[in-house]
Amino acid sequence: MPKPHRVVLDRVSGYADEAAAFMRRRRHERRPFARVYWGDGRAVEYPADSDAGEVMFAAAGRLIDVAQEREAE
Amino acid sequence: MPSNTTAIRQITTTVSQDARSSDTAGILAHVPDPQLAEQSLGRLMELSPEMRGGAILDGENVLAASGDAAEWGDAAAALLAATDAVGESAEQVHVATEAGEVFAVRDAGLVALAVTERFVLASLMAFDMRSVLRDLAAGPRVDGAAGGGA
Repeated sequence: MPKPHRVVLDRVSGYADEAAAFMRRRRHERRPFARVYWGDGRAVEYPADSDAGEVMFAAAGRLIDVAQEREAE
Repeated sequence: MPSNTTAIRQITTTVSQDARSSDTAGILAHVPDPQLAEQSLGRLMELSPEMRGGAILDGENVLAASGDAAEWGDAAAALLAATDAVGESAEQVHVATEAGEVFAVRDAGLVALAVTERFVLASLMAFDMRSVLRDLAAGPRVDGAAGGGA
């Protein structure tokens, strides 16, 4: 029978492995998105190929460029 | 014949001083100081090391920015206009691209913008941005620093 602290360690490292696997998959599978949230709890996701999404991605890209200019300085 | 000093005694200066001390802070609380906004932005970037840059706006005025204020203002206005075009004024926007992530949060009449690395925890980022805006809108603390604290 394993010592009690071994059981806890195994369980914790099991959770950590699962979390790492989840993050790995998230990195591989996640697609660009634009989500808008309103005060009443509504949230809408706009795909990059939609009209609204296209404008949002363009504006976000511009902000990313502005932030990169600052980093380059 | 009444003396001049009698008339002078009728002016109660303490009334106006009381009004100033009780009302002015409330009025000024709605006009965040750019210096406080700079401190708030610095605090936000300290809380979120994944941030590449950010800005705090009061309407369309840039109160603080991590780079050129005019460029941040123009880019922010474009994003907010794009999100407002799809409906009523949005409270939060999160755009995730291959090159990075962009967050915009509206709270207490102010707007916070943040550009971060990819895969940041969105809920934590939005929470930090919202709390910084609320502290900024509440005005300076007694010790002169922006509200909140670690």
